Amino acid sequence: MFQMSFSTFRERWELFIGAILSVAVGVALVQASMLVLAATGDPRIPPGLSRQAEDQVREGFVGAATVMGMTAFLAMFLAVFIVSSTFSFTVAQRRRDLALLRLTGGSRGQLRALLLSESLLLGLVGSALGVPFGVIAKYAQTWLLVEIGLLPESFSVPWRPWAVITAGIVGVGVALTGVFTASLRAARIRPLEALQETGGAARVMTASRWLFGLSFAGCTIAMVVWAQGANLIGAMMAALGISMFGAVAMSLLSPLVVPFMAWLFGVLVPGSTLIGLAQANLRDGVRRSAATASPLIVLVSLLLGLAGTFASLAAAGGEEAKRSVNGDLVVTSTGEEAERLPSIEGVAVASRQNAVDITITVEEAQDERVITRDFYTGIIAVDAADYARTHTLPPSTGNLDALTGATVFTGPARHADRIEPGRVLAADIGGQPLRLTVVGGLPETLEAGDSFLVPRQALPREVWAGAPTETVVQVAPGHDPDAVAERIGQAGVSQVRRVSEWAVERAEVAQAGNVKILTVLMGLAGLYALMAVVNSVVIAGTERRREFAVSRVTGLTQPQVVRTAVVEATAVAVIGLVLGCLVAGVGLAGIAGAVDKAIGVPVVAVPWTLLVAVAIGSVGIVAVTSAITAAIATKARPVSLVAAKE
Amino acid sequence: MSWNQHLGAGHRQGMPPPGYPAVELHQVTRFYGAKNTGVAALDDVSLSCPTGTWTAIMGPSGSGKSTLLHCAAGLDQVTRGRVRLAGRDITAAPDSVLTEMRRRTIGFVFQSFNLISSLTAEQNVAFPSKLAGVRVSKSEVRQVLAGVGLADRAGHRPRELSGGQQQRVAIARAMISRPAVLFADEPTGALDSGSARTVLQLLRTMVETVGQTIVMVTHDPAVAAGADTVVFLTDGRIVDRVDVPTVRDVAERLARLES
Repeated sequence: MFQMSFSTFRERWELFIGAILSVAVGVALVQASMLVLAATGDPRIPPGLSRQAEDQVREGFVGAATVMGMTAFLAMFLAVFIVSSTFSFTVAQRRRDLALLRLTGGSRGQLRALLLSESLLLGLVGSALGVPFGVIAKYAQTWLLVEIGLLPESFSVPWRPWAVITAGIVGVGVALTGVFTASLRAARIRPLEALQETGGAARVMTASRWLFGLSFAGCTIAMVVWAQGANLIGAMMAALGISMFGAVAMSLLSPLVVPFMAWLFGVLVPGSTLIGLAQANLRDGVRRSAATASPLIVLVSLLLGLAGTFASLAAAGGEEAKRSVNGDLVVTSTGEEAERLPSIEGVAVASRQNAVDITITVEEAQDERVITRDFYTGIIAVDAADYARTHTLPPSTGNLDALTGATVFTGPARHADRIEPGRVLAADIGGQPLRLTVVGGLPETLEAGDSFLVPRQALPREVWAGAPTETVVQVAPGHDPDAVAERIGQAGVSQVRRVSEWAVERAEVAQAGNVKILTVLMGLAGLYALMAVVNSVVIAGTERRREFAVSRVTGLTQPQVVRTAVVEATAVAVIGLVLGCLVAGVGLAGIAGAVDKAIGVPVVAVPWTLLVAVAIGSVGIVAVTSAITAAIATKARPVSLVAAKE
Repeated sequence: MSWNQHLGAGHRQGMPPPGYPAVELHQVTRFYGAKNTGVAALDDVSLSCPTGTWTAIMGPSGSGKSTLLHCAAGLDQVTRGRVRLAGRDITAAPDSVLTEMRRRTIGFVFQSFNLISSLTAEQNVAFPSKLAGVRVSKSEVRQVLAGVGLADRAGHRPRELSGGQQQRVAIARAMISRPAVLFADEPTGALDSGSARTVLQLLRTMVETVGQTIVMVTHDPAVAAGADTVVFLTDGRIVDRVDVPTVRDVAERLARLES
């Protein structure tokens, strides 16, 4: 059986090359991601940094670990998906060959064994290629993570042999998982099909395709419904889930949509004979059309779904910030400079918020042990009365009036830690110990937000005088905010913005981090889908040599055959795009629901630029690949192919 | 002759017990489609092919020739009636039994050769035995190929062989397991007259020297005339039969049926 697998592999390599490459890329990415992930577990902080900067580096490490975890997961998902869709297409294309094996005495078990040994071979070859690729990928990923600012320059990844072994196991596992259902389908092929010239005309929508397609669609809908009531982290996870499950569901059910789209295509593009032929081919080759469309569906739904989710969350964060601030201007300065703001003409209220460099220690009892956590960042010194007048977010516990003397308020970032009012926290203020009583807390927000609010009067002047400060200014009635802003500028404070501008900028800054993560993930998903699309177009084109030859014998010229193939492939690409957008849209509906629940307005950002880029890019690649494949497939004299029986 | 040498009599696999025909169809009906709108491709057909004989099945297009062959070989399930193959009732046999029979009891030769394109001639011939877990030596495979006149083509892939050569590889593949019955569906349909003659002579020699049972579907009177018996089918029913046929005899009867 292995000899048979080996010779099939050698003979029909173009059927397998895409699957081999996707396993190789999967192995490489899993290996590299695991190595980087392991290295981020032990963050080496460069010496000579301030505590805040150290915290930032630590946060970067956590971010890098998240990206690597997601990369490894996504790589495995995509590899399994692509291997399985390639193989089920391969089985459909080889139906007659496989039936012939049954005819010459092959049992069902032997057919399953044949496909599984092919996949074992695929997994081994893919892993063998993937391990050296992984070394390159490790450098590429490290460079990228340093370049986007998540990791410090000095970051290095030590080599660990277990990562290679694990990646190899993943590679073989991915290949076997991907081929499993195809092998079951192959085993059901009846020997008689070898005798029917049109052996490929098997049903496309098999029972298992219906079952899996509907189950995945059901899960997708359930996640959309669930996301409506979820918190934001939940909704983000749901959005990722919706993109993945929805893409699989759409791919499985796409054969149902293809005939309808073929009809629509005929209505929209009034027909020359060639367009009519392309349309008929679309309808006739439902299996082939679906196989080409499915990687595009995955690409579009993942890219647009993820990008849309992140952009929506950032936009919602900006919206929330705008709504939670009751003021006209936001001024950025030092604490010292901000002291001059209340005396400027036209300023009614100036709520100064100094990000002070002090330490607050929280002790937590866990399993009879006491764990202490020190916080250096997100500690804001405020005047409680001014703060209350300029911020609309009502505290979840306590009252801001009580924030005087040696007290502290927990911020949105510490909401989940459940630090109850009445507890006393130790603080270190420039070497001076102080004990602060918790008098209340703010609720969770879309953005992480601040950790603690402390009363400014409790701190010595030198602690807040040099601290980076944001001041929310309310303009007195009868004054023009722009004039006030100009006067503030003249007073030597350079950065003055309208609240709405400030909120948009905040959202953009928040989004910048997401864009970094997305760049890595999208590049990956794009690379994968590209391979799969090219692969299925090549398989489809190569297997259609005889059909093309028949068209030419019937009177079509070679360019006409190529043009028909391109029109057909382009239509398939459009189908993939539309279905992918549908999935992404459903995912965004889930996010909109969750945002609505969190801030009272459904905020959705559609990544139009990305959508246009993906649309043009994928249609272009499909058109070019199909043109090249069809041109190669029609190079031989048509008569030699029409006459060929084998 | 090479067949005597390499596939001597008495080596048949799964031979029917004495007194049984190699192939027997008893009141077989094969219905396709829904009850009201469907068609009976075979309608109450009974046929018996004795061991060591060559039976040709003829008839106009759509008369049910291929369906008869498929039902007799256990590739298609009959709607009514019984099928016995090499003395064994296969009417409702499970897939495992039919797989086993395809390995040991029956061989197939088709118009379109149906060789596995990725394997060489030699590998194609040895393949069914490998599937059955039977070891065949290289020399055995070479001898069988020599028997069909392809000793020098063992390492070639199907696409490197002519149509007649491919068909002879297919016959060698069918014969290496020494099957009780060889089913042939238009075995010369895709061949030029010279190659067709070679293949027919090969089949005749097999019947005469080792007592091979052959059931063959054809539409060519010249091919049918090589058989011991010709059975004529129309609309799924056996309507005529000739023993020791001549080309002219067969052509006339066929013309009558088609008119």
